[in-house]
Amino acid sequence: MKPLLELKNISTFIGPFHILQGVSLEVYPGEAVVILGRNGAGKTTTLRSIVGLQPAASGQITLDGVNLLGLPPYQAVRTGIGYVPEDYGIFDFLSVEENLLIAMWIEDKDTLARRDSVLDLFPALKDSYKRPASTLSGGQRQMLSIARALVNENKIILIDEPSKGLAPIIVEKVRDALLKFKNKSTIILVEQNFDMACSVGDRFYIINEGRTELNGPIQELYDDQELQRKYLGVVNA
Amino acid sequence: MAALTNIISKNLTVKPVQALLLFLLLVILLIIPMISGMTTITLFSRIFILAIFGMSYDILRGFTGIINLGHALFFGGATYIAGILFNRVGPTLDVLLLAIITAFVLSAIIAYIMGQFAFRGTGFSGVIACAMITLAFGEIVRHTAETLRDYTQGADGLTFRIPEMFQDRFMMYYYALIFLIVMTIVLRQFVRSPTGRVLQAIRDNEQRARFLGYDTKKYKLIALVVAGMASASAGIMFALLTRFANTELLTVQSTLNALLYTIVGGTGTLYGAIIGTGFVQIAQNSLLELRGIHEIFSRWLIFFGAIYVLVVLYMPKGIIGAFYQLHASWQKRKKHG
Repeated sequence: MKPLLELKNISTFIGPFHILQGVSLEVYPGEAVVILGRNGAGKTTTLRSIVGLQPAASGQITLDGVNLLGLPPYQAVRTGIGYVPEDYGIFDFLSVEENLLIAMWIEDKDTLARRDSVLDLFPALKDSYKRPASTLSGGQRQMLSIARALVNENKIILIDEPSKGLAPIIVEKVRDALLKFKNKSTIILVEQNFDMACSVGDRFYIINEGRTELNGPIQELYDDQELQRKYLGVVNA
Repeated sequence: MAALTNIISKNLTVKPVQALLLFLLLVILLIIPMISGMTTITLFSRIFILAIFGMSYDILRGFTGIINLGHALFFGGATYIAGILFNRVGPTLDVLLLAIITAFVLSAIIAYIMGQFAFRGTGFSGVIACAMITLAFGEIVRHTAETLRDYTQGADGLTFRIPEMFQDRFMMYYYALIFLIVMTIVLRQFVRSPTGRVLQAIRDNEQRARFLGYDTKKYKLIALVVAGMASASAGIMFALLTRFANTELLTVQSTLNALLYTIVGGTGTLYGAIIGTGFVQIAQNSLLELRGIHEIFSRWLIFFGAIYVLVVLYMPKGIIGAFYQLHASWQKRKKHG
């Protein structure tokens, strides 16, 4: 089977800093891949390089055979990428409804039907449908951000640290939501919360100092405490 | 009256109370020329026309987050186009139509070229570059107008005759009022359209709009072309009102006046520009009338500087923003008994 998304040895600079120095990964249709690593390892930059927000200087990024390298973000995402950034990226001045509408590239019957099914996944958003996004709680904002990535017929969804800054009970809700749509989409999840990463992911990649160092089934990582301690700083009791 | 209120409410998608207030305001505006002198009639005509200039600037500054320091070139340029054509070809309605078409086409082309240069960067440096490039475009047009003395009379200003239909000040008031209503509806529809929503998203956070799949440069160009054409339409009406064009209309001060209208009234509200223009023009007129008391009042810009500082400090969202704030706190108090 051919990978849906393929990154080959990508290299990305932020100003004078060489952040990604050789990230390679493959994501196959229907799987959930988790990118793990310590703070500053380059996980978020990897996602930003895929969508062109932090353009890669060299390497190869292909989605379903389409070369993404050098494409501006608005063209890269239109090849079929839903991006959920760390800061949610929603527009506070718009209502929940308008935030979903602005994310739709076309307002046809199929997209509107998809929006309705996405709302079924997130009942909290349905209740706040006409409210300004500025009045939503952190968890609701995260759900709106994910819902927005799902309204178009995307090939892959990139989610950056969905549990960051949320209360444990809200993290559970976000995880439940991710599990609900996991089987219908291909996902790349950047996550620091190890439990969440293990419950959502099928495979993992570990990025260390801007390079992909390890990958494999998530169960392998879950079972290997030494690996967790070495790369992720996870200390088990 | 109830039927009319109903029509306004349905067509403009406003609440019945707002429709009633709009209806009453319209009645007052229709009556004003019948009970006022020529000075008041001309002042209000001026307010109606300059409000469009202010609203066109609000499309850029308030709805898209663009700082355009050369925006006056569309307004003043259209006034000159009308004046030159009336002088060279004749003050007829056909020539007015030709002036409108020429002003619209030229504004769209210049806005497009201006945008191609001005919208290259993003972030803070992009905003500064945009301000500087648009300022340069404005200065090029102003300097060209000063240099082409054969057509523009240079710094002396260009006086011209207008079609007979617009010579009556009383009727001109109504034309300006109709123009204001039509343009307000058109611009309101524009900012409420899906394109308008994207423009506001760009103002809020351009990067977010980009990763949602929007070519933000294209949308900013659309905003600049629409604002340029709206400004040009105001420039044509201004020519019909004043029958005079000078290079003052093309200066950065003229652009800053539009900015002042929107800031005083409330940026990003569209209607704020109407209120702001009214406030600024009436205040300017009142200050000039006080010249007899003391010479300082003829230097009305000093007072405007002070008003600007006070508005920015104490009413950052302008008169409309302050009204909304008062309304919200009143509602809150009512809710909590």
